[in-house]
Amino acid sequence: MDQIRTLLDRPKLYNNIDGVGELGASILCLGYSLILLLIMRSPAESVWHRSSFLFFVGMLLLIHYGTKAVKTRITYPRTGFVEHRKQWRTAAIGAGVGALATFALTVVFRRRWDNSMLASLGWVVLATGYGYNAAKALRWKWFIAGAMAVASLVITFLPVNFVRAVGREFPARPDQAKFLGTILLSAMVYGALLMISGGISFWLYLRHTRPPAQEGQ
Amino acid sequence: MNPQIRTLADLDRVIHEPGRLMIVALLSAVARADFLYLQHETGINKGTLSSHLTKLEEAGYVAVTKTYRGKVPQTLLCLTDAGRNAFEQYRRKLKEAL
Repeated sequence: MDQIRTLLDRPKLYNNIDGVGELGASILCLGYSLILLLIMRSPAESVWHRSSFLFFVGMLLLIHYGTKAVKTRITYPRTGFVEHRKQWRTAAIGAGVGALATFALTVVFRRRWDNSMLASLGWVVLATGYGYNAAKALRWKWFIAGAMAVASLVITFLPVNFVRAVGREFPARPDQAKFLGTILLSAMVYGALLMISGGISFWLYLRHTRPPAQEGQ
Repeated sequence: MNPQIRTLADLDRVIHEPGRLMIVALLSAVARADFLYLQHETGINKGTLSSHLTKLEEAGYVAVTKTYRGKVPQTLLCLTDAGRNAFEQYRRKLKEAL
């Protein structure tokens, strides 16, 4: 029965066999940091302020179609195509549990912690979710998840002046400089770690699989 | 006869064969997959995999669609409702027997 269970889990693990999902997530984090940084460092009337939402949507589309293109050109011809079942119920339960956990932790820590600490806590929840999903396939990904959690803790306890300095030049929310600094630093660190993890997975995938022969599949 | 042993004897023999059990288990977890994916995951050679798929198709458990990905032929496979039910029943009976 255990072997059947393992087989049933295989397609889920196949989802990130090439690390492309992580690379997409890293581009999302780094792109988001870049947009945030451009908004912070540019004048209020600049194009970054007026059209930041469009840039963000453009980046999402780029990630979606870029990931799809890599899968179609590299992954499917090497190790096959899989269309996953739409599991709305599982996704909804997962999102609900995540939201509830974040809400509960926010309520518990609200009195003692400020917004930036809660933002760090949110990133730790993300790191835990990442560890749970990615480390099922590859144990070494726990190191990445651990590094993410440690990075969040370090960012939380960085000197306040330093974190404020990162987010200080955001004209619309001067009072939220520390909060924005925390978000920006976390997105950059998480993006870099995901880039490393996804890059290693992609490299290993290319090394251990053969390019397709021109024949039917 | 011992009811547990009878349960074992009642197991669906189309699914019970190890190669076909792997195929059905993998397909039950996805909407559809291609031949290459099954080959990669099961490690079964093309001829044997093809033969197992033919048996599963004849039993009405697997639906096979021949298509193209660009200029390369692609065989897409998915479990039918009958296949899904048969697999669930198989797992239930196996659990009872064990």
